[in-house]
Amino acid sequence: MPQNEYIERWTKQHGRRLDHEERKRKRIAREGHKASKNAQKLHGLRAKLYAKKRHAEKIQMKKTIRQHEQRNVKTDGPSEPSSNPLPAYLLDRTQPNTAKALSSQIKQKRAEKAAKFSVPLPKVRGIAEEEMFKVVKTGKKTAKKGWKRVVTKPTFVGADFTRRPVKYERFIRPMGLRYKKANVTHPELGVTVQLPILAVKKNPQSPMYTQLGVLTKGTIIEVNVSELGMVTAGGKVVWGRWAQITNNCENDGCVNAVLLV
Amino acid sequence: MQLTWKTIAPVPTSQEFLDIVLSRTQRRLPTQIRAGFKISRIRAFYLRKVKFTEQTFSEKLGAILESFPRLADIHPFHSALMNTLYDADHFRIALGQLSTAKHLIEQIARDYVRLIKYAQSLFQCKQLKRAALGRMATITKRLKGSLEYLEQVRQHLGRLPSIDPNTRTLLICGYPNVGKSSFLKSVTRADVDVQPYAFTTKSLYVGHFDYKYLRFQAIDTPGILDHPLEEMNTIEMQSITAIAHLRSVVLYFVDLSEQCGYTIEAQVQLFHSIKPLFANKIVFLVVNKIDAMRPEDLDPARQELLGTITKSGEVEMLKLSCHTEEGVMDVRNQACERLLASRVEQKLKNVMSSAAGKEVTDILNRIHVSRPIGEGLQPFIPDAVLNRKRYDKEDPQRRKLERDIEAEEGGAGVYNVNLKKNYLLENPDWKMDKIPEIYDGKNVYDFIDPDIEQKLAELEAEEEQLQESGFYDEPEDIEDEEEAEIRTKADYIREQQALIRNAARSRKSTKNRAVIPRSAGQGKKLSDMETHLDKLGLDSSNIVARARSISRGRAAARAAKDTDAMDLDEGSGAKNKMTPIERAKSRARSINRREDGIADESNRTKAEKLAKLQQKRMNRMARQGESDRHVSASLPKHLFSGKRGMGKTHRR
Repeated sequence: MPQNEYIERWTKQHGRRLDHEERKRKRIAREGHKASKNAQKLHGLRAKLYAKKRHAEKIQMKKTIRQHEQRNVKTDGPSEPSSNPLPAYLLDRTQPNTAKALSSQIKQKRAEKAAKFSVPLPKVRGIAEEEMFKVVKTGKKTAKKGWKRVVTKPTFVGADFTRRPVKYERFIRPMGLRYKKANVTHPELGVTVQLPILAVKKNPQSPMYTQLGVLTKGTIIEVNVSELGMVTAGGKVVWGRWAQITNNCENDGCVNAVLLV
Repeated sequence: MQLTWKTIAPVPTSQEFLDIVLSRTQRRLPTQIRAGFKISRIRAFYLRKVKFTEQTFSEKLGAILESFPRLADIHPFHSALMNTLYDADHFRIALGQLSTAKHLIEQIARDYVRLIKYAQSLFQCKQLKRAALGRMATITKRLKGSLEYLEQVRQHLGRLPSIDPNTRTLLICGYPNVGKSSFLKSVTRADVDVQPYAFTTKSLYVGHFDYKYLRFQAIDTPGILDHPLEEMNTIEMQSITAIAHLRSVVLYFVDLSEQCGYTIEAQVQLFHSIKPLFANKIVFLVVNKIDAMRPEDLDPARQELLGTITKSGEVEMLKLSCHTEEGVMDVRNQACERLLASRVEQKLKNVMSSAAGKEVTDILNRIHVSRPIGEGLQPFIPDAVLNRKRYDKEDPQRRKLERDIEAEEGGAGVYNVNLKKNYLLENPDWKMDKIPEIYDGKNVYDFIDPDIEQKLAELEAEEEQLQESGFYDEPEDIEDEEEAEIRTKADYIREQQALIRNAARSRKSTKNRAVIPRSAGQGKKLSDMETHLDKLGLDSSNIVARARSISRGRAAARAAKDTDAMDLDEGSGAKNKMTPIERAKSRARSINRREDGIADESNRTKAEKLAKLQQKRMNRMARQGESDRHVSASLPKHLFSGKRGMGKTHRR
């Protein structure tokens, strides 16, 4: 009865077949041909999958090659200032470098100034009312009314909200499309945390959507950042912080936002 | 209980897993969808995709979870072995991660199914499906480590020997390189590696052999070094697990020649340190390699040291040499003998102590087997039988058997057995006499019974006596007039009752409806009238003819009479063809509208003329007449349009 490491034992006792090493070498040598054949022959989904896999492999290969190459390449500027002093007429040569650094610094400053009033997503696609609302047609009486609307986008509804009586309810926000939490990224720390939404501050599409709490791409929301433990300049713990939604929530089934800092 | 786990299906890597599941979704479900389809259809299409993927995921994960053994459910030995080999915590965590992933995937599917129900367009549906599948894929990718680990465990599990913890077991243990594997190899047919260096055996090996027609298993364990349990590595822990959990005979091997590289002191010390594991087990001290060094040849100090093991009297010392095969079978047999004895004893004890054992003792207590006092019953053997000479083939004066006679007289088929010669009769001369069937005009078989005449006489006498005493006399007829009268009256009453009953029944069946008596409708027959009139001397021919013409005869007869035309050759089917009258029975009779309501020919021409005249103007102007084909509107506008002032749509 074969038990435990019987395969290794067998090889130990009887050895491998005589052309084992050669076969192995040949198989490796053949791999390129096989890959090429596959790339030419495969169809449809398999071709897609294969191409994707190959693409990733190639990227990886190129990266490693570059790494190896860089080891041998000499960079133009010496990393340390040379010990022997340069003549005056040659000192100018380094100036373009500094000038470039200066200009970029200025540019950055300007950008920062503007950044006070800017948000990560300054422009959004307009959403028509027909897309946002669906007219409710069900039921005998409702069909006649024609003023009842269902919001077809995800919404945020406060915890203390109660629906109005059916007769007076103009906008219905379906339970299935209500969100309470958002995945918020801190842009500087580069971490993403799931935080509860406190309120919808501004929907760029229309003030009405802000009122309704519609969550579309570019909407500014307030999130509860108490978990992050952020502190103000005065030393108080920050509770609510604004964030901008960066994805189309209705397509993704989740709310992704970036914290405005 | 499961002893081997060779049938666990391979566990795919996370990437393979993903490929399997996603391509299954792609292959098994429809792929054609258009934005122009009804939104409910688009939603259903994508819902199905998400649900199906989730089902596949959970099915596959569930299968993996199911296939691996649950450590709590298997025998403690196997569970401990798996713990030492694969680390029970790691194992549990890996399986736990799989089950969590399954749960999460199910949750995601639920969420996205809900969201797709609200989706407004094909694009949105598709994006949601994509997000759902993507999240499932992410979860699967995170399982990379656990899946790899489980695959390794599966491969190793499949190669474990099947050790039955409950069967008869010899367990071989000791220091490394003392000759454990070579003993197993010499006792069983197990293919074990034997090498002259320590730790050749790195895991448990099993071999089987038969002793007294019973199957025994011998387990070879890796060598143990003498250090605390915490410091033992996986290889040594396997032996410890086997010693601790298997009910067996333990053969503790020592090498007195010290060829193994360990001193006798160390080996004895090891025995004492693992002694607690030997509790409730039969232990033998087996001295191996006696070809190199016998225990008798040891110096006294070491002999005494060896004596510390056997001193308690529970441990017996055995000697063998695997090299010269000296004493190998003795050791095996002795160990097996002791094991069998102890197992039988154990079993008996178990039965007696268990609930079933109580029943057994109860029944035993109630059974009493009594025996006669003294010599008891003696068989009676007649002297003739006792003194009869034993039949002996060789003896020339032996008894003659029937088969001897047969052989003498010509063998089987020729010789006819004489059945009469053994008859027991008064006179032996009568044996061969023939018995006639009829003798003196009487059937001999009637007189086989010697007392038959006497018996017959007795019977006859008895019969006569019975007749005389009047046993067979019939009782006298004692009916008188009074009784006859009662009888007739009773008959009359019964008849009347039957009549009443019938009347009541018929009344009930009519349910109080007026019944027209049959005779009322029928009246007199025509023939009756005819004969009556003839009798009176009146001419009845006119009346009869008229009556005949009015009354309807049978259809066939009338048809036969009426037809003057030639017979048509229609075969047998002709009869079944419906004649106009017969057709009239099955459907309403069609009326010739031209003649309907018009008395005679002249009237009809008159009416036709009038109709033509009426139509004349219409025709001249090519106007629509009443005879023109007309299809009325399916939705008359005046009925279906405009405000409804009063009433409903259907009542206007």
